[in-house]
Amino acid sequence: MSYHFAIIGTQDNPLFEYEFGTSKQGGDGQARFSEQAHHLNQFVLHSSLDIVEEVQWTNGQLYLKVIDKFFTNYISCFITAGNVKFLLLHQPTATATAPGGGGSSTTTRSSTSVGANPTSPQTEEAIKNFFAEVYDNYVKAVMSPFYRVNMEIRSPVFRQRVAAAGRKYL
Amino acid sequence: MAHLGPGKAASSKEQAGLRYPSNGKTIYHRPLNRTKTAELSQSSFAYLFSEMVTYAQRRVTGIQELEKRLNLQGHPIGLKLLDLLLTREPPRSQTRPLTIIALLHFIKINLWTHLFGRQADRLEKSSDPDAPDEYMIVDNEPLVNAYISVPREMSQLNCAAFVAGIIEGVCDGAMFPARVTAHSVGGKEEGEMWPGKTVFLVKFQPEVLEREALIGKG
Amino acid sequence: MASSKASRLGEEVWKTRMDKVNAELVVLTYGTIVAQLCKDFDSDYVEVNKQLDKMGYNIGLRLIEDYLAKSNTVRRCSNFRETAEMIAKVGFKIFLNITPTITNWTSDGKQFSLVFDENPFADFVELPDDGRAQDELWYSNILCGVLRGALEMVQMQVEAHFVSDVLRGNDTTEMRVSLIRYIDDELPPEDD
Repeated sequence: MSYHFAIIGTQDNPLFEYEFGTSKQGGDGQARFSEQAHHLNQFVLHSSLDIVEEVQWTNGQLYLKVIDKFFTNYISCFITAGNVKFLLLHQPTATATAPGGGGSSTTTRSSTSVGANPTSPQTEEAIKNFFAEVYDNYVKAVMSPFYRVNMEIRSPVFRQRVAAAGRKYL
Repeated sequence: MAHLGPGKAASSKEQAGLRYPSNGKTIYHRPLNRTKTAELSQSSFAYLFSEMVTYAQRRVTGIQELEKRLNLQGHPIGLKLLDLLLTREPPRSQTRPLTIIALLHFIKINLWTHLFGRQADRLEKSSDPDAPDEYMIVDNEPLVNAYISVPREMSQLNCAAFVAGIIEGVCDGAMFPARVTAHSVGGKEEGEMWPGKTVFLVKFQPEVLEREALIGKG
Repeated sequence: MASSKASRLGEEVWKTRMDKVNAELVVLTYGTIVAQLCKDFDSDYVEVNKQLDKMGYNIGLRLIEDYLAKSNTVRRCSNFRETAEMIAKVGFKIFLNITPTITNWTSDGKQFSLVFDENPFADFVELPDDGRAQDELWYSNILCGVLRGALEMVQMQVEAHFVSDVLRGNDTTEMRVSLIRYIDDELPPEDD
């Protein structure tokens, strides 16, 4: 299971990006995207913004769950009160090559693992928790008097915090 | 994100320039709710606020410009509080305002209670049929005016322009772009119950009403 | 006044005689003031420090009366050590609900440090990561001006500046306060 997480500002500008892999079922936390996939992911995430715009005025929840799918890529979305989007692209391992994945190849296919079934309640819940923890840290970044709207978040501590949330829930 | 070239990923610009104390404490270690109910003296606010006004006064030429400046200083606070206050809601009521009324209630109740310890006194829609985009939030006794004695030559100044800026920040952040201005409406006669009474006039951009109409149909 | 007596006074005044507001209103207002100064002076942080000190000085000139009235102080402090006690345990307590620690006295009793374990102004704050702010900006510099202005009104000329700040990555936030002279020299406080 590989993840591409992005925070998108109100002008559809990227504020933060982070790729990682699952830490569950013996995963090593590394993303297994191919070189082309990296760019494709950005494109896929960006395309899903149109759908976010359609959904965001009919559903006032912060967490909008899976809002888009592109082949084997699923996009989950969370919108902050200030209309900044958290997008998580998740790609179940089945189609990704996982060289040197060791014991993970068998276990990640198990239907009970987080992410193996991108729309299962367990996965939804795990992603929800991940988003909530990122939001908590995001608000801390935003509260600083020197943070202005749509500024990139470049703090390495913030990045560590996102990574920790990824390890904890995904 | 369309303009994000492959080499320009946000992650590539990360800086590691800041130093932190050896205990490693940063803003990210401080629980968001730590000062949720903390208090400081009202005087500390009054002193800071009047210095802000005095400083702004030196950099502008007229009352309108001064109010604009106070508005600008409040605006980022509104943007920040929108997120902060929503995260503090219990999960069940943690929803983004989707309609003008939901947004104004958030301002009248959540924002006011947090900043001033009580709700705003009233919420009204303009009765002018030509101004369906105008709403009013009424505060009988704005805290910011309680301590500020406005010089005679600036008697039209309403320091609540700062609060108007905070409201405008909340509206803009929630994607209900609006222009918010503060107007003194308290009577000047002796024995007037609310001499500092202020109306915050919220004038939404046309697209807000258009969207509202569409959502209503949906 | 003895240290513990000052603490009790500060606590009492804070609890019973001070009107309170939500701390975050004050903190965010201070934040927007500093951010605006940084913008107006194009991140010339040395100038921002000066402006903050000046604002604080203006506040201090007015605040002292409030302080004297609220704390019911009618008597001059008998020496600078007592002044330090009153600043830390009454002044800071009643306005900002904190009690900085007094430390690092010089042997002549004319210089001390206030160490801030808590600093409400710094809540939520991360300085700009521009390679300069952490070396040049004293985010809470307004407090130096407040002390200078307030003490001047009670015949003490002091100099105050920060020597460290956790926002700069230091382990403590410390302000150094030095007595320059008693302005009313004919009536040295010891003779009161």
